[in-house]
Amino acid sequence: MHLTVIPERCSGCKVCELACSVGREKVNNPKKSRMRVMVLYPHPVIRMPIVCKQCGVPKCGEGCPTNAIYKKNGVVQLDKEKCISCNQCLTGCPFGAMFLHEDIEHPFKCDLCDGDPLCVAACPKEALKFHPKHILGQAHRLSAARSYAKMSKVEYMDDGQKKTLKYAKITKGGRDER
Amino acid sequence: MNVKGGYFFRILEVDLTKGTSEVRPFDEEFALKYIGGRGFGARILADHMKRKKKVDPLGPDNILIIAPGPLTGVYLPASGKNSFITVSPATGIYGDSSIGGVFGVELRQAGYDAVVLKGRARVLSALSIQDDRVKLIPMPHAAGATALEGEHLVREATGDEDMKIACIGPAGENAVVFSCVNTDWSRNAGRIGIGAVMGSKNLKAIAVRGSKDLPVYDLPGLMEVSSEGYALLKSHKFFKFWQDQGLMSVVDYANKMGILPTRNFQETVYDKADRMNGYTMEDRYKIGDSACFGCSMSCGNVCLVKEGKYRGTVTEGPEYESAAMLGSNLGTSNFAYILKANALCDELGVDTISTGSIVGAVIEGLERGFLTAQDLDGVDIGWGDEDAIIELINKIALRKGVGDTLAGGARAIIRRWPEMARVINHVKGLEQSAYDARGAISMALGYGTSDIGAHHTRALTVFNELETGNNLEYEDKINFLIYHQTVRPLFDMLGVCRLPWIELGFPEEYYQRFYRAITGVDLSMDDLFARSSHIYDLTRAINVSLGISRKDDYPAQRSFEDPVPSGPTAGKVIDRGEYEKILGMYYEKRGWDEDGKPELKI
Repeated sequence: MHLTVIPERCSGCKVCELACSVGREKVNNPKKSRMRVMVLYPHPVIRMPIVCKQCGVPKCGEGCPTNAIYKKNGVVQLDKEKCISCNQCLTGCPFGAMFLHEDIEHPFKCDLCDGDPLCVAACPKEALKFHPKHILGQAHRLSAARSYAKMSKVEYMDDGQKKTLKYAKITKGGRDER
Repeated sequence: MNVKGGYFFRILEVDLTKGTSEVRPFDEEFALKYIGGRGFGARILADHMKRKKKVDPLGPDNILIIAPGPLTGVYLPASGKNSFITVSPATGIYGDSSIGGVFGVELRQAGYDAVVLKGRARVLSALSIQDDRVKLIPMPHAAGATALEGEHLVREATGDEDMKIACIGPAGENAVVFSCVNTDWSRNAGRIGIGAVMGSKNLKAIAVRGSKDLPVYDLPGLMEVSSEGYALLKSHKFFKFWQDQGLMSVVDYANKMGILPTRNFQETVYDKADRMNGYTMEDRYKIGDSACFGCSMSCGNVCLVKEGKYRGTVTEGPEYESAAMLGSNLGTSNFAYILKANALCDELGVDTISTGSIVGAVIEGLERGFLTAQDLDGVDIGWGDEDAIIELINKIALRKGVGDTLAGGARAIIRRWPEMARVINHVKGLEQSAYDARGAISMALGYGTSDIGAHHTRALTVFNELETGNNLEYEDKINFLIYHQTVRPLFDMLGVCRLPWIELGFPEEYYQRFYRAITGVDLSMDDLFARSSHIYDLTRAINVSLGISRKDDYPAQRSFEDPVPSGPTAGKVIDRGEYEKILGMYYEKRGWDEDGKPELKI
């Protein structure tokens, strides 16, 4: 399963940060959440939750002098017993998805809430999705197919409304016209 | 009663003259009586005025209070509100303006229930608050910077990209009496001239970062109410529509009801309104959604002009007021221009409502011969003259040429050109919001009796009266008005947004439950209303101490003199005799005397 961020939908409301900090740390403190919504303007305009991608090769762990970072069941974990809080992992992560807080002893990161991320359930804009891996890329595949340049179309009436049906025309003899 | 959460019990007092700060505690009684936000601000300002009697709004003696509320930043719908309270340079009396976004949340996380700014910094500076570390950073190089440039310079100076910044533009530095404070790109504490007060204190910006847990007494209990609340909002039939259009949906509604300001409120229906409505925005300009902290409604619309003269203009907005006051009110429906003008106002740091109102009055003044092109530095400006309008906005913010007078607001304009009183719509020196009141006497009364001048956030009874109430008794109208004037301040005191309530019918009882879970104090809705009602009396008492009385409680002159020419409210005008009657009844209902004085003294 994969936690996917869709920045185009994000409104920057930070409800995900609230859900994370209240649910996981039992405090109302977005600064203790395991994600951070970045809001940039006016150039570029983007709102984007930064959250761990559970990388196949966790860069955060590469510089860890005590091997405190390990991967289990697809989740990058931090072993607090081994961690010496040197904060190397913070600079190691290319996404900035490791966090620190004055009140918390060790760096902290997203662990996907045991497979049921609170942020995903709380997001009012459906900007966070928790998908099986095979869903990744589907949107792009669909849109590539839908926008295929050589589509033909027919217009027709349905219940008084004009509708369009698009289709890819089969050429005579199945020849490739390109 | 024990207050078990909701407060840090810390007020940060900054003496800008000395460059020092101290933390002042307050007691439970204060928290219980004034709740927070505007309530704290009103009490602190009242105490200040008791000592000073009178202050120059733009002198070092004035104070500026920044106050979120006990609900601000907590996990509940639309908890991102924060109030700014001061003596207004536009009206000379009590004034406040609130913002959404995240600034107030950050301030609370820094561990403060309010910040009081007094004095005047020696050079243009930024106030940096990082939890307990408070310092003034000299920023002379930020002089003249737009609000966004200023924000960037402050980030550079603090070295913290994540700080939340409230910054003024050149208009604030130039003491434009309707200049605002800008946060989060396009969220402005817009009205009554907060920007000018900051500018007069040599304060370009306030940068805040906080890391503390917000004090919530019963977090699991709160979460139960909150989850229910978020689900209720989501189930509303207009929820998705609201996310898509936000306040821009009001353009069509206002036009349909015949209250859309058109050519300086000469008309109230605009034939080209469909070119500047929510659908036009959605179809051609919107590129993203934007929400304040903790809010699922995402009223904000990020818009980009992709073609034509204004190509490349990008801003968060407009919302209804800005679109109406800079669009139909100035005789144009060109949405790309509206975006440009809105972005310009934000960058220069002027209020879109007052700016649109003043430019509209100037154009009508020219038409009627109250002004000449010579008065306007040789520029003749007509309805929809976009270039001339944009040039005039620049001149106002920079106080160039005639802009120097216009920057003084309604009162300064009338002082110089007395005939302009006929066309400039204001109450107590504050220009009127984008809802015509001639068809609804309760709305006219709301503008007239609002403590800060002709602003709609105190009471928006116009839709209700037009839809249901023209045959209502005056008593019912007054009751509804006072209900608005009581419930709306409560939102500002608690530090939450009123839009879930007014737009999606979010029941007010939820706020009592939020308040109880957060503070551990069980107050009834009536108890809460009694407190906000007290604040209304208190701000009135401040104003009375500054010379306000019945004579100041009248809506804009136009409301009495020019019947609406066409549309659903055609022929409507406020009758003076009737207004006197309803005003007297209103005072009686409020328990104020015939001259509008409450028993309460500051």
